[in-house]
Amino acid sequence: MTRKTQPTSRLSAFQRHFLEPLGRWIYIIPLLIVNAIVIVIPSISGILYAFTDWNGTTEATFIGLDNFGRLFQDRVFFRAFINNVTYTGIFLIVPIAVGLLGAYLLAGIRHGQVIYRLLYFIPYMFASVINTQIWRYLLHPKHGVGAFLADYGITFLDFAVFGRRSTALYGIVFVDGWHTWGFLVVLYLAAMTQVDKELYEVARLDGATRFQQFRHVTLPSIRPTLIFSMLIIFIGTTLVFDHVYILTGGGPAHASEVMSTYLYTQAFENFDVGYAASIGVILALWVSVPLSIFYILRRRGWQI
Amino acid sequence: MRTLRFLAILAFSLSFALITSAQEEVTLTWWVETTDQGDLDHLQATLVEPFEEANPGITLNVIGQESLQDVLRTALLGGAAPDILSTFGPAWNAEYIKGGFMAPLDSYSDLYGWQDKLVPWAYGTGTIDGTLYSIPLAFESIVMFYNQTVFEDNGWAVPTNRAELEAVAEASMEMGIHPFTYGNLNAVWANGHIISGYLNNFATQEELRAALTGEKQWTDDIFAEAIALLTDDIADKGWWSGGLENYYQYEGADYWAELASGEAAMMITGTWGFNSAPEYFEETGMVWDLAPVPNMNDQARPSVYPLAIGSTLAINAASDHPNEAAMALDFLISNPDRVLAISSGFNYSEWLLPLAFSVDDFPDGVDPRVQRFHAEFAEATGMGNYGYANWTFWPGPANTNLRVEIEGVWEGIVSIEDYLAAHQAVWDELFESGGTIPVP
Repeated sequence: MTRKTQPTSRLSAFQRHFLEPLGRWIYIIPLLIVNAIVIVIPSISGILYAFTDWNGTTEATFIGLDNFGRLFQDRVFFRAFINNVTYTGIFLIVPIAVGLLGAYLLAGIRHGQVIYRLLYFIPYMFASVINTQIWRYLLHPKHGVGAFLADYGITFLDFAVFGRRSTALYGIVFVDGWHTWGFLVVLYLAAMTQVDKELYEVARLDGATRFQQFRHVTLPSIRPTLIFSMLIIFIGTTLVFDHVYILTGGGPAHASEVMSTYLYTQAFENFDVGYAASIGVILALWVSVPLSIFYILRRRGWQI
Repeated sequence: MRTLRFLAILAFSLSFALITSAQEEVTLTWWVETTDQGDLDHLQATLVEPFEEANPGITLNVIGQESLQDVLRTALLGGAAPDILSTFGPAWNAEYIKGGFMAPLDSYSDLYGWQDKLVPWAYGTGTIDGTLYSIPLAFESIVMFYNQTVFEDNGWAVPTNRAELEAVAEASMEMGIHPFTYGNLNAVWANGHIISGYLNNFATQEELRAALTGEKQWTDDIFAEAIALLTDDIADKGWWSGGLENYYQYEGADYWAELASGEAAMMITGTWGFNSAPEYFEETGMVWDLAPVPNMNDQARPSVYPLAIGSTLAINAASDHPNEAAMALDFLISNPDRVLAISSGFNYSEWLLPLAFSVDDFPDGVDPRVQRFHAEFAEATGMGNYGYANWTFWPGPANTNLRVEIEGVWEGIVSIEDYLAAHQAVWDELFESGGTIPVP
């Protein structure tokens, strides 16, 4: 009869509960340190500066909620906030609708689909500086498409799109939308290719039209991707800066001002960094609204 | 004996190393606004190499920085700023001085005699509470460039007063020529140039000075009338760039091309235009010239050249080599010929320190128009006919408020009274916090 022997490879409790997790954490600790230095610490200090009168050079003095009180009486800030809401609202409808339509049509193409994907994605590959310059020249009041068409009696575009208060913001949204929709097409197309083909077969057998198939099969199946795209659009349009800054600078007369550009002006031209930080806090809170709703609904079991 | 010899050689080598380490090369860093390689090469040839030749042991690194002011602020806060600080002008310096980033220069001024070499009004703009912190790098003014070919072809006289200006403007509008051209795309400070041109030629020097020193309110009728006149010209009459909407979309290439091609007759801008005018007019073959901005008031008075400083130089309070940095500043201040040589590369639109030049100091071959301007400027300002440019005498927040919020007035969504009341509120805060510029 042989005596049973203890396994030689059994880990001690110390190894199991400490060394093993430590081994896994070691791989992400450098990233956490970078995250802390680049994101966490500046975020916390930004929040703290929102309660001060810091001008960016001298010492900061605590002033309580004065900056926030001033913010809620600032007509320019309200204009900027409304512009951001408008920007987001348009983006949640137009580029998404165009992206869905483009992806749905593209999904039906068998040959050369890759080429179409590439063509649609090209605008997204442009840096915003290039994108804005292209459209600034295309829509230039003197040298642009509008001026060219006006020579042939077509005058509907013969004006400074970015120089008119009523159209400046919408012009910027159009340019940014043109830049983004190709990305959405590719995103939705990737999701659509994952939809079970048998669902479409069943729907067809039940007599569903193409629109009904799109509405009752495609959309529900790609819902997680759709919700994800809406979240990133909300965040991106709330934080938008480059397109606005380059095309109009927030003008004319703050007609296209958004919270990011107003924050920039306060921090870097008015030397009012504390006030700018308070705008940053409001921005962060606003962005957290849909994220919080998404998180709560997921916790409640919603399939989104 | 051998041991002694060895020890002697060792001692000598060690002391030689100590001496050479004490005489280590000093490297000065100087960030400049231009990133154009041609400009940097010119600075290398006319500033860096002569300075290093005259000061062996000191290396001068002149580095062009994109978005210099944004980069400089961050660098100062991070302790990585250069030895020599170049800012956009006195209006920007108050915050840096309050933060302790600029070293006082009085001792260097006494040592090198800067106060006697720089023009008094310009020297004063570098002082805060009586202490010198910055040296003016480029003096400027606001002028009116015009297309001389268009004027001559149409038999127009260059306007010197409001009535003459209106006559030229109406005639040019009838011919489809924009009376003025300019634009503020990515350059809202352009609004300030036009505002300054109107304010300085509508209100008197005394009235402006009083407002800049807190003795008069910006809500006073004289300033409201000046703003109303400008708003009428730019927004209602559409004198600029074919309309206000175009003005918002024009940048330098657009309005210079328009002036040089004869599509526009005049342009109110700063004297840095000396650098752009030749380039654009050479392409079209038309001729440019300049004149003072016309008197905008009905009361007869001579036109005014607003005083302006385009850039300033200061020494970083954290610099390890402030004495050497001061030597670099003095290399410019004490050497008018050197300044003219450097500035020649910019057609005397930049790097022209406000030293006591006479017209004869300018070398042969200088554009006669540039030379004439300097002669007229010296004569006019010498007689007291000068004004105050916004980018020099309006502190940062006041300058931003002046030029940004004017668009609300032009668009008709803010009344002139509210605009000026808000402007006064900004000045009230500045007077309280002590952030204003000495006004000559």
